[in-house]
Amino acid sequence: MELYGKMAATQDVKGKGEGGDQNFDYMFKLLIIGNSSVGKTSFLFRYADDAFTSAFVSTVGIDFKVKTVYKNDKRIKLQIWDTAGQERYRTITTAYYRGAMGFILMYDITNEESFGAVQDWSTQIKTYSWDNAQVVLAGNKCDMEEERVVSVDSGRLLAEQLGFEFFETSAKDNINVKQTFERLVDLICDKMSESLDTDPAVTTGAPTTKLTDSAPPLQQPGCNC
Amino acid sequence: MGQKISNTSSKRTQNSSFLSFLKRFSPQKPSLDKIVLPRKGVLAKLITPPANKSSDFTRIISDCISFASTRTQEYLVFKDPEGKFQPSPQTLTQVFLMTYMTQSVNQDLTEAFNCTAMTPEQRILLGADWVWAILEKPTKNPKIQIAVQVLHLPDREEAEERAAARKPVSESIQMAQMESRNQNAYERMVDFCTSIGKDCYALFLFFGKRDDKENIYGVLSNNFEAAVGKYDRIDRALIENFLKGLKYFHTPLGMMQAIFTKKTDEALTLMIKFS
Ligand SMILES: Nc1nc2c(ncn2[C@@H]2O[C@H](COP(=O)(O)OP(=O)(O)OP(=O)(O)O)[C@@H](O)[C@H]2O)c(=O)[nH]1
Ligand SMILES: [Mg+2]
Repeated sequence: MELYGKMAATQDVKGKGEGGDQNFDYMFKLLIIGNSSVGKTSFLFRYADDAFTSAFVSTVGIDFKVKTVYKNDKRIKLQIWDTAGQERYRTITTAYYRGAMGFILMYDITNEESFGAVQDWSTQIKTYSWDNAQVVLAGNKCDMEEERVVSVDSGRLLAEQLGFEFFETSAKDNINVKQTFERLVDLICDKMSESLDTDPAVTTGAPTTKLTDSAPPLQQPGCNC
Repeated sequence: MGQKISNTSSKRTQNSSFLSFLKRFSPQKPSLDKIVLPRKGVLAKLITPPANKSSDFTRIISDCISFASTRTQEYLVFKDPEGKFQPSPQTLTQVFLMTYMTQSVNQDLTEAFNCTAMTPEQRILLGADWVWAILEKPTKNPKIQIAVQVLHLPDREEAEERAAARKPVSESIQMAQMESRNQNAYERMVDFCTSIGKDCYALFLFFGKRDDKENIYGVLSNNFEAAVGKYDRIDRALIENFLKGLKYFHTPLGMMQAIFTKKTDEALTLMIKFS
């Protein structure tokens, strides 16, 4: 409660905090989704803790980590939700789509089935999340070139068709992990300033929406990026 | 593999292709790459003798659980002669988990029945301390799950809360608490299990209950959501009520057997004495 309260307060005065102890300017809720074993947990583990383990412990339900990034002197707190890919957790994971501002939709370049499922995951995003959510498609395990079954081109093509950005990544070798998150943050920031330009309620300086799960702060001032 | 078989069948008659199929997978000609050699522990027992397969399996699981309960009980009843020191609730939970995990690894159980300890954030979000799962053979996907939440004696818990109040709480823990503020831990775990279905049980594990502080009891159900309809909230009193006045309790073995023999979609509620 306190954290969200602080954030809303910060935004009410257009990014200038009322001094004191608040430790971030914005908070973005991000989700990582995709089939089981594509590497979602590993990807987040690499990004947040710069570590990797080859043992596979399938995620139970849902988990999250927090990471702060800096962009144009603004502190952005990323609340990154790591969802379980297994079908049995679908009800609980989709409940967390609400209010997410960005998604990393992941498949495994050595697993055709996980690539085939991308379309379905994209439908899940459309069904359960909010319209302006940004999505980056990530083809993970690109260190395993010999076992590749999904070409870079088919990944890129699918991303284009779905209107998503695209990266091939490796949690193991730390390839494009940071870049994927940074790109997603950029996309969200762009979207925020875009709606700042087009939403008269904001430009007339009447930010009234209270920040809750269901109302992401898009109509609030952008992050100057 | 499928490719090869269909090639063969196109060249031969159906009958001989069937025979060749049999030959390919015949156990009479064991080859290392097809037949898993018996190993120690549960796998060996699963392979020989097949008739007792599941009863042996349930016995090994329940032995591990009983072993952990007995060890935990030793610490549960511990009393400092000077009355100053007592193990924290967290320590007791850790003793249980460590003992169980060590035992299940020694018994070679983890391939078929695994135990996933929750992260601190998951403990808050899902209300569970750990989740047991019976895994499906080739995929290793969970077939049946038991989410476990440990409940400690109220005075022990209060002592812990006082100690925790002095320590700073990490940011992600604050966020997790914030996400789950509308429900208590019991409700969160019941919700989690209900969202999965009847093959996911909630097990509330009492390290001591009000009228018997020195034993470990459990209430297991895949049907707690029925209580949600009847009562306003699920709380400790409601769950502990299941244990009140009971003379007969299931053993851990009885619990595992009941879970294994239950039909899909059937409701099952059991009261168990673990120590
Ligand atoms: N070679 C390679 N292996 C990876 C990479 N990322 C993950 N893995 C491995 O793939 C397996 C699955 O990784 P996880 O991160 O647990 O998969 P997940 O997507 O979180 O799976 P669920 O939690 O079941 O949804 C683990 O054994 C990882 O070590 C990668 O970039 N390269
Ligand atoms: Mg995972």
